[in-house]
Amino acid sequence: MRPSFFHHLHPPTIPAKQSRWRYTLGAGGTAVFLMLVLGATGILELFYYVPTPDQAAQSIQTISYLVPFGGLVRNIHFWAAQLLLIVAAVHLVRVVFTGSYAPPRRFNYLLGLALFVFAILLDFTGYILRWDEGIQWALVVGTNLIKTIPLIGNAFYVVLTGGTQPGLPTLIRFYAWHIFGLALIVIILGVWHAFRVRRDGGIAVPPPPLRVDKERITRNELVRREVLAMLLTGAALILFAAFVPAPIAQPISDITIMAGDARAPWFFLWVQQMLKWGDPFILGVLVPLIVLAVLALIPYIFPKPADGELGKWFPRSNRLAQIVLAVIALLVIILTIFGSLPAS
Amino acid sequence: MSDLTRRDFLKLTTTALLTISGALGVGALFRFLDFQTEPPVKTEFDLGPAVNYPIGSRSLVPDVPALLIHNQNGFSALSLVCTHLGCTVEQKDSGFECPCHGSRYDANGKVLRGPAQKALRALRVEVNSTGNLILHTD
Repeated sequence: MRPSFFHHLHPPTIPAKQSRWRYTLGAGGTAVFLMLVLGATGILELFYYVPTPDQAAQSIQTISYLVPFGGLVRNIHFWAAQLLLIVAAVHLVRVVFTGSYAPPRRFNYLLGLALFVFAILLDFTGYILRWDEGIQWALVVGTNLIKTIPLIGNAFYVVLTGGTQPGLPTLIRFYAWHIFGLALIVIILGVWHAFRVRRDGGIAVPPPPLRVDKERITRNELVRREVLAMLLTGAALILFAAFVPAPIAQPISDITIMAGDARAPWFFLWVQQMLKWGDPFILGVLVPLIVLAVLALIPYIFPKPADGELGKWFPRSNRLAQIVLAVIALLVIILTIFGSLPAS
Repeated sequence: MSDLTRRDFLKLTTTALLTISGALGVGALFRFLDFQTEPPVKTEFDLGPAVNYPIGSRSLVPDVPALLIHNQNGFSALSLVCTHLGCTVEQKDSGFECPCHGSRYDANGKVLRGPAQKALRALRVEVNSTGNLILHTD
């Protein structure tokens, strides 16, 4: 049998303890599955979506209400995208809380973090593609934040939006980034990320002499579990998408006339909440970048998890990294909750 | 120069050329994306005959967006674009409130509560020769 990429990702046997749900949470694999779902439903949406300010929102109404199964396709695309962010976050938390980023996996940790950032950008651009009254404020605030960057802000704004205010070039650019630029980057990084898992020695476990539990499962058992996870996620997604529609609003009559919800998309509520306190550049650009930098530095600045403690939750040797991530996660969650409350 | 071998020299030259090419490429890409296809944004709005706006009136001009005020001192206009991050403020009580981040302004556009730092922008209004009101946003 000729080895393939599939065989690269599925070694003949893997440690039993580290392939349990309660250890991996199945987050990485579910993220891959969700990306496949997003690719497939996204391609279907391409057949009806019209990326012009006059017709974008209307074409989404066509998909949602007229095209047979169109509503289901769009709802699955939307919910899979939201779920992807949650699953990716869970994956990140799992990796830090189990110390799995230890060398030689530091670089793959960075690849994973980059994937997370690009997933957020894809979610945001996809949200803007609705081009209806529900997204105007997010577009205005999100792009104006770019303007607040000293020196390069204004030039960067034009590069991003294609003008001095949101309009047709903005929609075209977001469309191009969403369906091609960002998607391509995610595919490349995603394949690289998966490739590196095996390259770095598979799932993190203690070196053989320190291994207590030597039990292993076969490739077939691993695939069986993956298929089970896919089926469960797929079924949940279809069921959810069948009953809970993705957000939709009135088409925008004029971009300068503002109406609709002033709330940021849920994954940026924590930033919106901070923006209520003052300086947009510091709170809206610098603080999120600092958070990202701290996350990226976790494998480099904190004590390396001990070899013998790999492959289990909360190793004592990397407590500090766990605490830092827990504090960041908690702050983001608290800010998100405050941001989702109606304005006083 | 004697300690620079031919191999090192070629390596250095290659690296330098690749770096310069890369930088030029990024610069070109930036300029490519920096082009604006749309005509410049309108900065003059004709609001129709001035007599349509009697003394004491406060009229909303949604496409600007601005509030046109006519009082004893004549015409004046207030931009309704929040000076914090550009959302359109809403009239609330006697002043204005931004729905995005909660900045408050008084009736004259002065900041009552942050995060906005600057007052709402006063816009220039004039009556032209045909008696129409012209609002300038520049």
